[in-house]
Amino acid sequence: MARAGGITNAVNVGIAVQADWENREFISHISLNVRRLFDFLVQFEATTKSKLASLNEKLDTLERRLELLEAQVGTASANQSLFAT
Amino acid sequence: MAVPVEEAIAALSTFSLEDEQPDVQGPGVWVSTERGATESPIEYSDVSAYRLSLSEDTKALNQLNALIQEGKEMASVLYTYRSCVKALPQLPDSMKQSQADLYLETYQVLDLEMSRLREIQRWQASAASKLAADMQRFSRPERRINGPTITHLWSMLKLLDVLVQLDHLKNAKASIPNDFSWYKRTFTQVSIQWQDTDSMREELDDLQIFLSTRWAILMNLHVEMFRVNNVEDILQVLIVFAVESLELDFTLLFPERHILLRVLPVLVVLATSSEKDSESLYKRVKINRLINIFKNDPVIPAFPDLHLSPAAILKELSMYFQKFSAQTRLLGLPAPHELPPREAQEYPRQYLIINHIGAIRAEHDDFALRFASSLNQLLLLKSTDSADIEWSKEVKGSMYDVIVEGFQLLSRWNARIWEQCAWKFSRPCKDPVPLELHETSTSFSDYEKVVRYNYGAEERKALVELVSYIKSIGSMMQRFDTLVADALWETIHAEVQDFVQNTLATMLRTTFRKKKDLSRILSDMRTLSADWMANTSKSESELQSLQHGGDESKGNFFYPRPVAPTAAQIHCLQFLIYEVVSGGNLRKPGGLFGNTGSEIPVNDLKQLESFFYKLSFFLHILDYTATVATLTDLGYLWFREFYLESSRVIQFPIECSLPWMLVEYVLESRNAGLLESVLMPFDIYNDSAQQALVVLKQRFLYDEIEAEVDHCFDIFISKLCEAIFTYYKSWAASELLDPSFVFALDNGEKYSVQPMRFTALLKITRVKLLGRSIDLRCLIAEWMNKVFRENLEFLFDRFESQDLCAIVELEKLLDILKHTHELLSKDLSIDSFSLMLNEMQENISLVSFSSRLASQIWLEMQSDFLPNFILCNTTQRFIRSSKVPLVSVQKPSVPHAKANFYCGTQDLNSAHQSFARLHSGFFGMPHMFSMARLLGSRSLPWLIRALLDHISNKIATIEPMITGLQEALPKSIGLLPFDGGVTGCMRLVKENLNWGKKSELKAEVLRGIKEIGSVIYWMGLLDIVLREVDTTHFMQTAPWLGFFPGADGQILHNEDGGSPVVNLFASATAAIASDPNCPNPMSFHTISKQAEAADLLYKANMNSGSVLEYTLAFTSAALDKYCSKWSTGPKTGFIDITTSKDFYRIYSGLQIGYLEETTQALSNNNEVLGDSVAWGACTVVYLLGQQLHFELFDFSYQVLNVAEVEAASITQTHKVHFAQGWEALLEAMKKARRLNNHVFSMLKARCPLEDKTACAIKQSGAPLHRIKFENTVSAFETLPQKGA
Repeated sequence: MARAGGITNAVNVGIAVQADWENREFISHISLNVRRLFDFLVQFEATTKSKLASLNEKLDTLERRLELLEAQVGTASANQSLFAT
Repeated sequence: MAVPVEEAIAALSTFSLEDEQPDVQGPGVWVSTERGATESPIEYSDVSAYRLSLSEDTKALNQLNALIQEGKEMASVLYTYRSCVKALPQLPDSMKQSQADLYLETYQVLDLEMSRLREIQRWQASAASKLAADMQRFSRPERRINGPTITHLWSMLKLLDVLVQLDHLKNAKASIPNDFSWYKRTFTQVSIQWQDTDSMREELDDLQIFLSTRWAILMNLHVEMFRVNNVEDILQVLIVFAVESLELDFTLLFPERHILLRVLPVLVVLATSSEKDSESLYKRVKINRLINIFKNDPVIPAFPDLHLSPAAILKELSMYFQKFSAQTRLLGLPAPHELPPREAQEYPRQYLIINHIGAIRAEHDDFALRFASSLNQLLLLKSTDSADIEWSKEVKGSMYDVIVEGFQLLSRWNARIWEQCAWKFSRPCKDPVPLELHETSTSFSDYEKVVRYNYGAEERKALVELVSYIKSIGSMMQRFDTLVADALWETIHAEVQDFVQNTLATMLRTTFRKKKDLSRILSDMRTLSADWMANTSKSESELQSLQHGGDESKGNFFYPRPVAPTAAQIHCLQFLIYEVVSGGNLRKPGGLFGNTGSEIPVNDLKQLESFFYKLSFFLHILDYTATVATLTDLGYLWFREFYLESSRVIQFPIECSLPWMLVEYVLESRNAGLLESVLMPFDIYNDSAQQALVVLKQRFLYDEIEAEVDHCFDIFISKLCEAIFTYYKSWAASELLDPSFVFALDNGEKYSVQPMRFTALLKITRVKLLGRSIDLRCLIAEWMNKVFRENLEFLFDRFESQDLCAIVELEKLLDILKHTHELLSKDLSIDSFSLMLNEMQENISLVSFSSRLASQIWLEMQSDFLPNFILCNTTQRFIRSSKVPLVSVQKPSVPHAKANFYCGTQDLNSAHQSFARLHSGFFGMPHMFSMARLLGSRSLPWLIRALLDHISNKIATIEPMITGLQEALPKSIGLLPFDGGVTGCMRLVKENLNWGKKSELKAEVLRGIKEIGSVIYWMGLLDIVLREVDTTHFMQTAPWLGFFPGADGQILHNEDGGSPVVNLFASATAAIASDPNCPNPMSFHTISKQAEAADLLYKANMNSGSVLEYTLAFTSAALDKYCSKWSTGPKTGFIDITTSKDFYRIYSGLQIGYLEETTQALSNNNEVLGDSVAWGACTVVYLLGQQLHFELFDFSYQVLNVAEVEAASITQTHKVHFAQGWEALLEAMKKARRLNNHVFSMLKARCPLEDKTACAIKQSGAPLHRIKFENTVSAFETLPQKGA
C-alpha cells in the first residue's frame, strides 16, 4: 500500500521551504503596505468628501442669503425716485 | 532616493482624517489583494513542490473546483430564469397570415433560452460522470495514488451540493417545463420546412425527459457512481466527515455548515443503496446521530426564497431509490409541514430570532468591547519601540482569539437570519391580518403570506437589531483589516511553528520513535512547513536572551515572522495529519479522530485533532476581507425569484420587500434605540445588488433592485424628515407650555416628548447606496427649508381664514415654529428663521413696508373689525357684535394640515388650542401685544398710517351727512325748561329733534363715529403696548448708552460724554492695539467702530413718542377742514347758547336718540355700537373745542339735571311716582355721562387743549378759536394728507 509522506528529497525541499518563507515575508510585507496605502486613499476620499459636503452646505446657505440680498437691492434700485430727495 | 515603504506608510497616518461621521452603515468598501486563500489562488500548483506525490489528487481537485464554479453559474441561471412565454405576443386575427413568421421569431427567442437548459443538461451529465470517476479512483482498496486530501473531500461535497441544488431548482421552477412545451410546439411548426430534423428531435426529447423528471440529476449521478460498484468507501468517508464536522461545528462557517446539511441526506440515500452498505455505514455512524442532525435542522436554506428539508428529500428520493425505501427510521422523520403540533411549537423557539435576541445583544456588546480593547492594546504595542516579546505575543494572540470569535459570532448570527428565513418560508402565515384598513381584499399572494404578514412587530425589531449588529461588527472588523493583518499572520505563523517545531519534535522523540512510517510522515510535516531561520534577522544579543528564555520553556524557540502559511502548506499538513490518524485506509472503521484501537496514544491524537481543525480555520482568517464580506452578506433577504414565478407577477410591491419592511418599521416604531440603525436595512439592498451583479450576473435583477432602492430612498427621506420635523416641533411645543401648568396636571407626562437622537443621522453626509454616495444631511436640510416655508405659509393662510382675534394663536404657533427652528439649527444648518419669515411675509423689498401680515391685518380691520366689533370700555376689549354683521365677510375656509404643522402631536395640539381658544373671542391687550411683536417696527408704522388715513376718510364721509343733519335741526334750540319735569323735557327734545327726512342718516353717522372711536381706542391700546415695549427696551439699552431716567420722566445723559459701550470698546481696542504681539489689531478697530454705530442707532431709537397723542393730533388736523362748518364761531365772542349748527349739538341729538333706543329692550343699540361711539364723538367734540358747550348743553345732561331737580322736589313733596317710565333712560344717560367724562379726562391728559385755548384769548378779549398746539410730535405737519 502506498503510504503518504514520501518526500523524495527532504533536504532540498527543506531548503526551498526556508527560502520560500523568506521570500514570502517580503511579498506579504509589500502587499500589506500596498493595502494600507489603498486604505488610506479610501479613507482620504471619504474624509475629503465629507469636508467638501460641509463646504457645500455653507456655500448653499451663503448662496441663498446672497440671493435674498440681491432681491432686496433690486427692489431698492428699481425705485430710484424714492431716494432722489 | 527611495523612502522605505514602512516609513512612507507611517507618514500617511500623520494626516488628519477625522470626519465625524457616525458609523451607522455596514462596510461599503472592500480592499483586498488576495484571491482568497480558501480556494488556493494558484490552484494548488505549488503542491507539487513539496514532493508528496499528490499530483493526481491536485489535478482532480482542480477539475472539481472548476466544475463547482461552472455549476454555481448554472444554478444562478436556473434560479433567475423567468418565463418567456408570458411575454410572447399573440397575433390579432387580422394578421393570421404571418403566423408562421411569429413561430419562427418565437422559436429563435426560445431557442436561446433552451440552449442554456441544454447546456445545463450536458454539464450535469459530464459533472456526474467526472465526480463518479473521481470517487472511484480514490476509493479503490488497492489505492495507488495519494489522496484524497481533505480539500479534495470538501470539493466533492461542494460539487455534490451544487448538483443537489440544481436538481432542487429544476424541480421547483415551473416556468421551465412551461417554456419548454411552448418551445417544442413552435419547433414542430417551424421544423416542417427543415430537413434532417431527426437528431434535433431526439435531442429535444432528451431534454424533455431531463426537464420533466424529478431528481433527474441525482438519478443520473447514482447510475454513474454505481456503474462500477465501489464508491461506498468514499461515500462513507464523506458521511463520517460531514457528520463529525457538523457535530463539532466550531470550525465551520455557516455557508459550509449549510452545504453539509444539504448534502448529508443525499449522501445517506446514495450510500444505503444496498442492505450490506447500510449495515456497514451504520457501523461507522450510528443512525441516531444522523437522525439527530436531520431533526435539529428540519429546514435548510438553499436559495434566498427556497429551502430544503432533509426529511422531505429522504421521502421523495425513496420513491426513486428502491433500496433506500427500506430505511424506515429515516423515512419516519416528519417533513416541516407535517410536524406534530407539539414539535412544531418547539422549533420556533430555535428558529425565531426573538428568542435569542437577548443573548445576541449581550454577545454583541461584550464582543464589541473586547475587540476595541484588544485593538487598543495592539495600537499601544505598535507605538512602543522595543516591546517585550512575551507581551507582544500575548497581545497579538488575544487579537487573534478575538477575531476568531468575531468570525464565529458573525457566522452564527447570519446563519440565524438565513434559517429564520427558511423557517418562515416553510411556514406561511395562516390568516394574515391586513396591516392597513383600506386593504380589504382577502386574497394575499403567497409571498405576502410568507414575508409581509409573517413577521410580527417584535420579529421585525429583532431582525433590524440583528442586521445592524452584523453590519456594525462587520464594518468594525473590516476597517481594521490592515491594522491587524500582520498580527494575525504572526500568530498563525507562531502556532504552526510551535506545532511543527515543538509538538512534533516531542512526538517524534517519544511515541513515534518506534513507528517508522508514521514518524516519516511527521518529519515530512516538519520539512514542508518549518521555518527554522525565522530568528536570523535579529541581533545576536537579543537572540541569546531569547535562547535563554527558550531553554527554560524547553522548546525550540523561534522568532515570530509575520507571514502566514500558504494554502498549499495547509492543504498538505491537513492531508498528512489525516494520513497519520487514518493510516491511509478508507475502510478504517470509526470516525476521523475516533480512537478505535489505533496505535497513537490519546494525548497525541488530541493534539493532532485540535491542530487539524485549527488549520482549517486559518484559511478563513487569512481571507480576512473575503470572510467578513461573506459573513456580513445579507443580500439574500431581497431575492424572491421563486415566489415571483409562482405568483405570476412581474415584481412585488415594496411593502412586501423585507428590507423596506424593516426601514418602515424603524421609522414607524419611533423607537429611539433603533433609530440609528435605520440605514442598516439599506445595506441589504447594497448586498443584493452586489449579488445580482457578481454572483447571479443578471442585469435585470440589478435594474429592479436599483428601481426599488430609488423609490424606497425617496419615501425614506420624506418619512424620515417628517419624523424629524414632528419630533422637533413637539419638543418645541412642549417646552413652550407653561411648566407650572404641566406640573400641576395629573396627566402632564403626555405633554412631554420622548427624547430621540436624530443627531447621528443628521450628521451623515454620505450614505453608501449601490455605489453612489448620497449626502443625507444636505437632503434633510433641503427638505427642512422647504417644510418650514410651507408651514409658515400654512400659518398665514390659516390666519387669513380667521378673524383678527386669531393673532394670538398665530403668534403662539409662530413662536413654536421658531423654537423648533432654533432646536433644529443646533444639529442642522438651515436658512435663518427671520429670512424665511420675511420671504413668506413677502417682506423682502427694502422700499415696501406692508408685509403680508400687515396688509391682512389692515384688510381685516377695514372689512370686519371696525364695522363688526364693539368696544367695551370697562374690559378694554373689543368683542364681535352679536347682531347680524352689517358688513358680511367672505373668508377662505380654514386650510387643513397634519398635526405637525401645528404643534407636533395631537395632545400638544389640544393643549395649545385650548390656550388659543381663550383669546379667540375678543380683541384686547394680548392681541395688541402679539400684533406689535409680529409686525415690529417695520410694518407697524405702515399700519398706523393706514388707520389714520381711515379716520380722515371717515370724517370726510360723514361730513355731508352731518351737514344734512344740521339742516334738519331747528335754527335755534334753547335750554330745556325745568318746569315740565323729565317728561316735559323729553317731549320738548322730541319736538326739537324731529330729523324729518334725514333720520336714516342718523345710523350712518353713528356708525362712522363709532369707527373713528374704535380706531382711536385701538390706538390707545397700541400706545400702552408700545410704551411697555419701549420701556423694556430702554431698561435694556440705557446702561450701555449712558442714559438714566430723570425725576420727571426725562432722560438724562451721562455727563462725562460718550456712552459706556463706545468707551468700553475704545479702551479695549487701545489696550490691545498697543500690545506689539497682537496679530490683527484691525479687527478690534472694526469692532470699536461697530460699537459707535450701534450707539448711534440705539440713541436714535430712544424716544419714539406716543402713538395716541400722534393720532389725536392727526385727527385734529384732519378736522381742521371742517372746523368752520361744525363750529360756528360766536359772533359776540361769547358762548352762543341757542346755536344748533355746532357738532356737539348734532351729537347730542344723536346720543339722546340712541340712548332712548337702547332702553327699548328689543333693539339693543349698545350691542351694535358699543362704547366707541362715545370715544369717537367726544374726541371730535373735544378737538373742535366744544367740550364745555357739550357738557353744558347736551340734551341728556340737561334732562339729567332736570331729573335731579325733580327728584329733589319730589322728595320734598313725598310724591311717590316721579318721572314714571324714565328710570331706564335716566340710568343710560348717567352711564353715558360717566363714559363721556372718562373720555374727556383722558383726552385732557393726553392732548391738553384747554390751556392753549385759554391763553389764546386775544388782547381785545375775544377768544381766538382753534390754534395749533405744539406739544405733540409735529411730524404730521410734514406728513402729506392723503388726497389733500
